Amino acid sequence: MSTSGFTFKDRCVSVLCCRFCQQVLSSRGMKAVLLANTEIDLYSTDIPPTSTVDFIGSCYFTDICKCKLKNIACLKCGNVVGYHVIAPCKPCLLSCNNGHFWMFHSQAVFGINRLDSSGVNLLLWGNLPDLDESTDEDLSGISEEEYIR
Amino acid sequence: MAAAAASGPAGPAGPESRALGYTLHRWSSFSSTYLPENILVDKPNDQSSRWSSESNYPPQYLILKLERPAIVQSITFGKYEKTHVCNLKKFKVFGGMNEENMTDLLSSGLKNDYNKETFTLKHKIDEQMFPCRFIKIVPLLSWGPSFNFSIWYVELNGIDDPDVVQPCLNWYSKYREQEAIRLCLKHFRQHNYTEAFESLQKKTKIALEHPMLTDLHDKLVLKGDFDACEELIEKAVNDGLFNQYISQQEYKPRWGQIIPKSTKGDGEDSRPGMRGGHQMVIDVQTETVYLFGGWDGTQDLADFWAYSVKENQWTCISRDTEKENGPSARSCHKMCIDIQRRQIYTLGRYLDSSVRNSKSLKSDFYRYDIDTNTWMLLSEDTAADGGPKLVFDHQMCMDSEKHMIYTFGGRILTCNGSVDDSRASEPQFSGLFAFDCQCQTWKLLREDSCNAGPEDIQSRIGHCMLFHSKNRCLYVFGGQRSKTYLNDFFSYDVDSDHVDIISDGTKKDSGMVPMTGFTQRATIDPELNEIHVLSGLSKDKEKREENVRNSFWIYDIVRNSWSCVYKNDQAAKDNPSKSLQEEEPCPRFAHQLVYDELHKVHYLFGGNPGKSCSPKMRLDDFWSLKLCRPSKEYLLRHCKYLIRKHRYNSGDGFF
Repeated sequence: MSTSGFTFKDRCVSVLCCRFCQQVLSSRGMKAVLLANTEIDLYSTDIPPTSTVDFIGSCYFTDICKCKLKNIACLKCGNVVGYHVIAPCKPCLLSCNNGHFWMFHSQAVFGINRLDSSGVNLLLWGNLPDLDESTDEDLSGISEEEYIR
Repeated sequence: MAAAAASGPAGPAGPESRALGYTLHRWSSFSSTYLPENILVDKPNDQSSRWSSESNYPPQYLILKLERPAIVQSITFGKYEKTHVCNLKKFKVFGGMNEENMTDLLSSGLKNDYNKETFTLKHKIDEQMFPCRFIKIVPLLSWGPSFNFSIWYVELNGIDDPDVVQPCLNWYSKYREQEAIRLCLKHFRQHNYTEAFESLQKKTKIALEHPMLTDLHDKLVLKGDFDACEELIEKAVNDGLFNQYISQQEYKPRWGQIIPKSTKGDGEDSRPGMRGGHQMVIDVQTETVYLFGGWDGTQDLADFWAYSVKENQWTCISRDTEKENGPSARSCHKMCIDIQRRQIYTLGRYLDSSVRNSKSLKSDFYRYDIDTNTWMLLSEDTAADGGPKLVFDHQMCMDSEKHMIYTFGGRILTCNGSVDDSRASEPQFSGLFAFDCQCQTWKLLREDSCNAGPEDIQSRIGHCMLFHSKNRCLYVFGGQRSKTYLNDFFSYDVDSDHVDIISDGTKKDSGMVPMTGFTQRATIDPELNEIHVLSGLSKDKEKREENVRNSFWIYDIVRNSWSCVYKNDQAAKDNPSKSLQEEEPCPRFAHQLVYDELHKVHYLFGGNPGKSCSPKMRLDDFWSLKLCRPSKEYLLRHCKYLIRKHRYNSGDGFF
């Protein structure tokens, strides 16, 4: 799991693309660092990106924590782009985390910051509708206004 | 057809196969920068050096165009340096002189690893080479089912020397023309265009079919002479024209319980008692089954028996072989027979950990001479002679021709000082050894390895090993290592010391291979080129109760294919009556199965039914098994039935 520090509301929302084939993997990416090792930076997302990635291989654990992980690969090119936290470990759960269980390696994806409806300001996580309330959030994440402009 | 084949190139030692130049001609799709042309270069360290499809919905394909027509003999796939989900688990290859008309050249799959793989492509029809200009690769399944297909590198090999290819091309054109004419002939006759049929046949002089079939058509369709049809079929059956058809029909197993004659009246003494972990061999010349040792549920046995098929009678050769300078009581040993020299060998045994010590852990090795009825101790400890250490659950095969014995696998019994010996050390497995019976010397052929290289083999227990006396290969499959069930299948050529992987066990040809992890028993028929497998009861207690069943499988060595002859879904609980038990043996393990390849009969004796309520229960039932195909008589009757049915329907008034 990952953290970006004290608060997540003022983090930018970015579109995540596969570095290998440029496929859009998620439009709700957050730049983050690994809880267990703050040296490693990555991207994370909250909504399962099931239409763009799939699991490969079997579950595994790393040396740094006891989270149970499984790799995910880009559906278009098949390259490994990150991992999913199948079961977080207790230390990671207890520390300040962003609640995201889908991680992307920064060597495998790049992020493009999104703009809000004004088209001028960066879209922040605090501006996104709450997940629980809005079930009809467009999965592509890109609103009609943005298409127009 | 024979005349046409003769016009092809005779080709003395054919010209050498070489890499064939090609271009990418057409493709279904590609994604991103994964262009079809990428398969021309072999860069295993570059993830982007591949063709990748845009979708994984068939039909996805690549069509390669060769520089010039060639006999394409093989295709080689290069891969990425790591495993990759886009690798092709299943694919097909087609070829032809044009894109519209292609024939199936190969159906196979790639392993998900980094090794290049080469496949032979079909390049002959009736022993005659045919050329291709286009090769079409059709991916069917990737290793990750939801991922796109990727091909990293393709190399085609074959002959493109015009001196060779041109005559093949000429032959192929002629062949195709002939086939087209035959199809026309067939069509004309079916639609009763008699004149067209006759004039085409007269002009081309091409025979549509065997004269007998023409005769049959004449009698059955034109004249309606049904009695003559029956006569014709009868003659065909008697001339063996249906033999090939019969050989391709599925076997039906026929079990029969053997009730041996008892001489003295007291059944107890006149036949071997209940046991598992015993050994059996058969002398096919005299039709005698030898049975030695085993575990009766509480103790090891040392009795030695012979069953004469002709007399239907057991004879006790010895109540205790140890008293006759033979082996002590034992179970889980192995036995093999040298039919030429009429000698039986036995090696290995299982020992309870409580009785293991440096003295008992010696691997003794005995030979029994049938004609003189004497045992001989060949070695007190084969390990000291450079042979295997004391093992159980190994396999042993006899090569009578070269007077050699091969033994492979089995778990090495060790004597651990500590009480908690299950954790003290990793289990050790014995490798592949050869014993030269003449010189009485052992040779280690393969150590236990983890399949590190192509010639390496992984030792195991509970596997099957069979010696094919004609092609002189050992066939090994199944078994387990600690908790891992192995389902690979390989052969080992004893003369060339070469391992050939038949199946690495990773490709799951769903349901088309026997279940492993079961205590299967196998036999071989070198004449028919078949391996027979009777799957037994699972050793796994959890699986045992719910999924109790027998199944019988046949592996066709030439066609490299498995077929399941039968499965019984015997629900033991639902069927307390003994009726089923009398029809076929109940599922079991630790039983013995031997095969008389001369008379085509299997014999099965005893074993452990694996009843958790009575763990000491062992069996003493004795069965024969014959695999039957439809007989000539049955076929003839069926053909006659069809003719008569047709006669009735055509209103001939026969009835």
